[in-house]
Amino acid sequence: MAMNNPSAGPPDDMDDREGGKERLPCGRDLAQVWQQWEEGQTDSHSRSCPHCTAALEDLDGLKHVVRQAREEEPEYEDANVLVERVMDVVQLELRPGRTLPLGTTEDDDWIVEAAAAKAFRAAADSLPGVRAGSCRIAPLNAPSGPRRRVRGPVAVRIEVVIDMTGDLQEAAERVRQRLLVTAQRALGIEVGSVDVAIVDVLDSGGHGERPGRWR
Amino acid sequence: MPAHGYEPPGDADDGEHRDDALLTARASEGDEEAFETLVRRHGPLLLRLATRLLGSRSEAEDAVQESFVSAWRRLPEFRENSTFGTWMYRIVTNRCLNMLRARRPVVALDAVSEPAAAEHQVSPARAAEGRAAVEALSKAMVVLSPEQRVCWVLREVDGLPYEAIADMVGISQEAARGRVFRARRQLTEAMVAWR
Repeated sequence: MAMNNPSAGPPDDMDDREGGKERLPCGRDLAQVWQQWEEGQTDSHSRSCPHCTAALEDLDGLKHVVRQAREEEPEYEDANVLVERVMDVVQLELRPGRTLPLGTTEDDDWIVEAAAAKAFRAAADSLPGVRAGSCRIAPLNAPSGPRRRVRGPVAVRIEVVIDMTGDLQEAAERVRQRLLVTAQRALGIEVGSVDVAIVDVLDSGGHGERPGRWR
Repeated sequence: MPAHGYEPPGDADDGEHRDDALLTARASEGDEEAFETLVRRHGPLLLRLATRLLGSRSEAEDAVQESFVSAWRRLPEFRENSTFGTWMYRIVTNRCLNMLRARRPVVALDAVSEPAAAEHQVSPARAAEGRAAVEALSKAMVVLSPEQRVCWVLREVDGLPYEAIADMVGISQEAARGRVFRARRQLTEAMVAWR
């Protein structure tokens, strides 16, 4: 590129500075020349001007090397080592959450919300065409405050995505019943209410349309 | 999804986005298995991004690991105004930017471009020449400031629009354009000198 003192380059501590335009010998602003080319715009000047052409060749040469570099990149398909390292740390971290009552009012058994939620999500997932997302469980009649241990029935709110294969209300009811059975038989937790929020409906091709919060 | 509607390259299709949203909701409520699935799904792409940004695979592994751990801690505050993929892309980009800033000061342009030329000009084979050019480029990149390097890689290697770069790094589009331009300016100089 026809430019004086090529090795000096623009100082790199002027990142957000306006101005400092670099003009080619033909008078055009280099940044503009490159930008127009990048946007697929050329004019008769830039097509015929040797300075503009040389500047574009330089940029094209750089892009060519970038393409080569990309082709040489290894594929990072195997994330096993990363997964292991991340999960080793994650599993050591305790997530404080609500503690919920198990059994009857006379018992002193408890379960953390995350564990109960996991069981409820798995129960919902076991229904055909249902995928569970968020699942929150809280004492039904309790003053707010996550750390307070209160006995008594709990309220469950679960969000699901459902395949559009039939009646949505029926599908929500199936989820509700499955959760109640799980609560009673598998967990031993007294459930006062189950809210099922259908957050998405998938057609048979797996494409969704969000119905809003339908209950 | 961000306002400009951009999704990182190679990111999931529509169905996978929905699944990501469910998994993210689960993970934010402490479901480790859901989080593991997200790490497995997004890890490879993020490792590639970090390697491009840092120029080092081992540093990239550290950056991505730390980013995921930090994401796990911040998940309860994650709001669905972007996808998990975009959110992670931003976290990794900024962690890499900070790692680049913590590196020792950059060397002068002349110090890297000249020896590279002497070393490689003798190679006759086209393939070897290509490899030498790639090597010369990665050496030349050392002169870029961390901000220039990150913006340039996002633009030129990852192919992000300026709008998305500005969003990722938290600067104006004009600043992003300026940084990419200055990076290109220095890299074209270095490659011309190398040739």
